[in-house]
Amino acid sequence: MVFSSLTFLFAYLPLTLALYFLTPPRGRNFLLLAASLFFYGWGEPVYVSIMLLSILIDYTHGLLVERFRQRDRLARWFVGQSVVFNLLLLGFFKYWDFLAANLSRLPGVDLPLLGLPLPLGISFFTFQTMSYTIDVYRQDAPVQRNPVDFGAFVTLFPQLIAGPIVKYKTVAEALVKRTVGSADFAEGACRFTAGLAKKVLLANAAGELWESCLGAQASGALTVAGGWTGLLAFGFQIYFDFSGYSDMAIGLGRILGFRFDENFDHPYCSTSVGEFWRRWHMSLTSWFREYLYFPLGGSRGGAVRTVRNLLVVWFCTGFWHGASWNFILWGLYFGLWLILERFVFRDVLTRTPALVKRVYTLAVVFVGWGIFALEDLGTCGRYLAVCFGGGAGWSALDSYRLRSFGPLLVLLVLGSTALVPNLWKKLPDRGQKVLTPVLMVLGLLLSTAYLVDGSYNPFLYFRF
Amino acid sequence: MTTKYSRFLAALFCAFLGGLLAWHIVLPDRERSDVENRTLAQFPAFSWETFQDGRFTEKVEDYFADQFPLRDQWTGLKARAEQLLGKREFKGVYLCGDTLISKTAPPADGLEQRNLSYVARLAEAAEVPVYLGLIPSAAEIWRDRLPKGAESWDQTSFITQAAMLEGLESADFLTTLRAHAGEPIFYRTDHHWTTLGAAYGANALLEALGRQPLSVTSFQPETVSETFRGTLYSTSGVHWLEPDQIEFWVEDRFGVTSWRNGKPEASALYDRSKLEGKDQYSAFLGGNQPLCVIRNPEGTGKLLLIRDSYSDALAPFLALRYEEVHLLDPRYYRNPPAQYARENGIQQIAVIFSVPNFITDRNLVLLAG
Repeated sequence: MVFSSLTFLFAYLPLTLALYFLTPPRGRNFLLLAASLFFYGWGEPVYVSIMLLSILIDYTHGLLVERFRQRDRLARWFVGQSVVFNLLLLGFFKYWDFLAANLSRLPGVDLPLLGLPLPLGISFFTFQTMSYTIDVYRQDAPVQRNPVDFGAFVTLFPQLIAGPIVKYKTVAEALVKRTVGSADFAEGACRFTAGLAKKVLLANAAGELWESCLGAQASGALTVAGGWTGLLAFGFQIYFDFSGYSDMAIGLGRILGFRFDENFDHPYCSTSVGEFWRRWHMSLTSWFREYLYFPLGGSRGGAVRTVRNLLVVWFCTGFWHGASWNFILWGLYFGLWLILERFVFRDVLTRTPALVKRVYTLAVVFVGWGIFALEDLGTCGRYLAVCFGGGAGWSALDSYRLRSFGPLLVLLVLGSTALVPNLWKKLPDRGQKVLTPVLMVLGLLLSTAYLVDGSYNPFLYFRF
Repeated sequence: MTTKYSRFLAALFCAFLGGLLAWHIVLPDRERSDVENRTLAQFPAFSWETFQDGRFTEKVEDYFADQFPLRDQWTGLKARAEQLLGKREFKGVYLCGDTLISKTAPPADGLEQRNLSYVARLAEAAEVPVYLGLIPSAAEIWRDRLPKGAESWDQTSFITQAAMLEGLESADFLTTLRAHAGEPIFYRTDHHWTTLGAAYGANALLEALGRQPLSVTSFQPETVSETFRGTLYSTSGVHWLEPDQIEFWVEDRFGVTSWRNGKPEASALYDRSKLEGKDQYSAFLGGNQPLCVIRNPEGTGKLLLIRDSYSDALAPFLALRYEEVHLLDPRYYRNPPAQYARENGIQQIAVIFSVPNFITDRNLVLLAG
């Protein structure tokens, strides 16, 4: 099930919330576990078994690590086992076909393609459970002895399928004891509505613009202007889609009594590529930093080691986004820019005016979106070639598109800056108090209208 | 946030979600939607098989969306919001002043060329002359009314190409309709041509068939409906336009036989009961059917039309000249038309389709049979 669907909004959510608050606190984790499994099994009932297996294995490994804490080699062995299990799970379901197809090009190798549908959110929950055993080993988090509580953590439906990647230590306390005041509920509801509107009203509309530019490429009518419009549109689609989804998750978490970390911080306002990644999908970046980059030695081993570590991390980051060469290329592309920023541009950047730095960052990021969005490398190359002058500059279709999507583009640009929240903060209390319910109802009404109309509503995370 | 205020916000949120859920449950399920002109999904029967592969839950989602309270109002609200944002295209329909015009999407995987070749094969197989008439849709005739720079597939060059097909005669609807582009030849809220448009079309076809054209001014149109809200009204969600009028021109005095259920049944040129419902265009000949024959003892010759719904409004005019007009819809009539023509003493075969239908219809392969 996805949040931006009528069944979730008007059946699953109200029923789950009603049951949740009718259940006495000590039964709530069990209810969450059951409700989350239902949520997970809705689209692919068979895959609930994978989820249960994953819970079982990580739960026992947590206990084993704790039990053999005194015998470090054994404890490490169990951590390793858990990591390998999670990576195998992810590897099998997400990467098998990719590996098989590419390895089969070698002489004498012939691996079958399985064509298995990707279990929803597998990239997210495997990363979360891995962090659990590692945190227990590092004594960053207490071991969880109650399988129901642990199961509730793994399956927690707000962040189950599209993040944020919640580390066990962030919610360890709330899992055992949490309270929901009416302010939590109200703020959670506002946050959820804002996220829903971002996804349904802004991201989907940007996606339509992107599809229209893709269509122009398919019919050979793409212009330079159309190419950049498309990159812009896709960049906004994925930002509002993903950050909207994170807002919904954070809001729902809040309603249920959890506080998840923020996942986006106006990334398109960054003044360097490095800063962009500290503000974009923060839970993933910090996961890789904490569980891969630092263990590899981070930047403490000299320039060569640092470059190697950066390349490894960015290869993995790219590959995590999808089992296809373009994602690997996309990751390494960012790795390269980060290495350049660290070792070559550092002095230049400090002397550059902020505006130029913003333009530079946005150009790098949006060209990156081209690599990200176009899976077929040939198509991708041709698309970007048009953007950089390999086509007509402008066509009548572009002016039509500009008229149709101009007001939307203005909203997208404004919405991705800190302008809106800053203005909101300047509003007197009275104004905020009056506007909040109005905006909430408006957001819900319009989102419902767009969802009922059954128009374009893709779910970008099936492949993550 | 004071407790009172946050309770109010929380209650508002719950009331919205829970309220619509309650409404959904209380509201009786509908069989079909008149506005959208389609049957609506019902709650699916449960079985382990469909549950396991996810089909059951998928159908529940369809059911939930189809039976959602105030469906039409939500669609209308969305269209209004889009309009406010400067959009001129509503789900493939352009809003052009007071007129809705459906965009013609480019055909997929060469279907349009294959369909042309099926018509050519029919011309080879048939023992009588075969005529091809492709009716350009409003998006082509009224291209200048589309939003500036808006896309719609080039029907003119396709029609020109089709006219050069060997072994076939062609009827030139394009030139005729272009000449009358300033008149209301298409409905404003529906994709069909009006009775006026069909009258001009009939003359273009009669000329190709070697028959005497009709005098368009000699008819006495009868306005039978002023509340026609057509297919484009439904798909676009643009609900704020004035409805269309429907006119009947040809007097209903012919013998009409319809094969709706495999058996011949007496029928009529017009089914006025359809004017009470949503799908008012189907008042012409009573709407879709596999086979229909119109007999006029004063006419001469037998004509077979292989056709789409545009011919429902066209056929009454042709019946003024022909003793028998046979209408065959390959979507429902599954036997080879050449054989039908042989068995029924047909003297001329005309394949008459609107371009958007012709380039998307996957049943025309039957023509080649």
